[in-house]
Amino acid sequence: MNDYETRLIKCFSAVFSGLSEAELQSAATTNLANWDSIATVTLIALIEEEFKVEVDMDDLERLVSFESVLGYLKSREAT
Amino acid sequence: MKLIDALKIIQKSSGSSTATFKVALVCGFTPLHLQTFLQAELQQLFTDHRVEVVTGLYGDLRGTLESLRIETLDAVAIVLEWFDVDARLGIRQLGGWSPHNLESIHERAILFLRHLKQLVENVSRSTPVAVSLPTLGFPPIFSNAGWQAGEIALRLKQEVASFGVQISQMNGVKVLNQDRLDHDSVSSERFNARSEWSSGFPYQLSHASAVAKLLAMLIRNPLPKKGLITDLDNTLWNGIVGEVGVDGIHWDQDHNSAHYGFYQQMLKTLSEEGVLIAAASKNEPSSVEAAFNREDLLLTKDAISMLAVSWGSKAQAVSQILNAWNVGAESVVFVDDSSLELAEVSLAHPEVECVQFPLGDPQGIYDLAIRLRDLFGRGMISEEDRFRSQSIRSNSELRRLVAEDTEGFSDALLEQAEAELTINVSKDPNDTRAFELINKTNQFNLNGRRVTEAAWRTYLQEPDTFLLTASYKDRFGALGKIAVITGRVGDKRISVDTWVMSCRAFARRIEHQCLKAVFEKFDRDEIVFDYVSTSRNMPVAKFFSELLNDEPASPVTISRSWFDTKCPTLFHRVTERNDE
Repeated sequence: MNDYETRLIKCFSAVFSGLSEAELQSAATTNLANWDSIATVTLIALIEEEFKVEVDMDDLERLVSFESVLGYLKSREAT
Repeated sequence: MKLIDALKIIQKSSGSSTATFKVALVCGFTPLHLQTFLQAELQQLFTDHRVEVVTGLYGDLRGTLESLRIETLDAVAIVLEWFDVDARLGIRQLGGWSPHNLESIHERAILFLRHLKQLVENVSRSTPVAVSLPTLGFPPIFSNAGWQAGEIALRLKQEVASFGVQISQMNGVKVLNQDRLDHDSVSSERFNARSEWSSGFPYQLSHASAVAKLLAMLIRNPLPKKGLITDLDNTLWNGIVGEVGVDGIHWDQDHNSAHYGFYQQMLKTLSEEGVLIAAASKNEPSSVEAAFNREDLLLTKDAISMLAVSWGSKAQAVSQILNAWNVGAESVVFVDDSSLELAEVSLAHPEVECVQFPLGDPQGIYDLAIRLRDLFGRGMISEEDRFRSQSIRSNSELRRLVAEDTEGFSDALLEQAEAELTINVSKDPNDTRAFELINKTNQFNLNGRRVTEAAWRTYLQEPDTFLLTASYKDRFGALGKIAVITGRVGDKRISVDTWVMSCRAFARRIEHQCLKAVFEKFDRDEIVFDYVSTSRNMPVAKFFSELLNDEPASPVTISRSWFDTKCPTLFHRVTERNDE
């Protein structure tokens, strides 16, 4: 597991407590009932704090799973 | 605090305690991360409770305040911003920034703050309230350039400041110190326009964290420390008096030592506010005596309750002082420039707060004064605070007479003491001294239980409860309000829930007189005490043992006839007051 993934799990774990690492890695708005708008705002704030990035509000609609967030962060690093 | 740490604290605390501490966060914006930070900060301060933070409706600060179920709350935190005063002072409402609107914004602000003041007053009658006045700047609404303060802006600030003054005078209301917030949160890094537009949350995370931390401190309202023990050489003055002589020590500008004078002035002020000040120094007593005879010393001899000067260890000196003061080590601060002395005292007295005097660092000394203000800070200086130093000295004189007389306070001595006890049975929820005594007394404390401000107010509102306080003075001086009893009056018996007495009042039979007053005032045949043995309340256990001729078991029951038989002769002149 790379550093990005570990740090992102920490962020997801702070918002969605009680889930295993595997469950967090497969987390998505479609399979987590408590991934609501408040959870999204909190998650984004945590990610911005942890990764020192500013998430564009236009990108929010595609950040709907652990995988998509991880891909987003990696793409931000690449640019 | 980082947001992730706040969330972890909250996660860790969930389900940890059955006792809940419930706070309403009242703000006009989306509370979001401020709620998280406030809950986490409070959770760290109320470790034996599970903290719950409830919030209200977006954009309706007054409506939220009006609809609070106050009886379910332990505290209320109000966070006011300019857009609550008038929505046109925000960036989300596009109500127009025409110059023609400015006067009406000011007029509306006056009405809003007047109404808010009434609401705060209503809520504060039942629940403690912490208020944060606007922390964000104005949007560019005013016609002047940014470097010039506009008239309307100044008038708005004046209205808010006036509102702050008025609510700060209300019992139970505490206003967040903007100066401290300015120190902890840089003003240019507070506002988050992106977050305000996207989610209605206007704060940067760091600012939300800073506001939450200060609000939590206002709500927790930690008890101030009682005593400060200071080193002398290179701490109270610049130089070592034993080496350079009395005239060689300095604390003035001419000798580049003004920061020592500043420290002296700080201690003198604390002394005048009722803090006990003592000095612990490895020195020849005659040298220190000579130093304290210097007329230019700011911390004069009369401001110091004890000088422990010898070549013995600092830990021993601190023990002597604690013994003379008869206060718990946890309420005392020790200041010394030597890391070694601090380590030694800390090892011998782990509960004493040991603070390094920053030798040769004027900025550090200024920061030390700020820290001392936090440790000893109190909202108001009570009569009892002013009595404290005087009564410590009176106790010393009384002890000296006792030593010359018998092993205890004899009848003869007590009879000559001309003691007067004033009993007050009014149930005043704003009696801060009674509340403070309950929450800081360890030794003569029936069960060691503490009470929150909200629980205290609720308890006193119940019709069958009573609050009895006792104030004492004798020819050796006044002690002020020194005993508190709370309980319930039943048909046949009285149940005592709380009974505390200041250690300064021991050995004067005040506890007997208080019980006598309870029997007489409520005219019942029996008192049942909710006694619980703690690691510190041996004086209560001793009192019951002597009265019962047996070790006390919980609960303790004493009948009036038994008390009358066992009560020693009481010499106080008792007067009763009822301020209701």
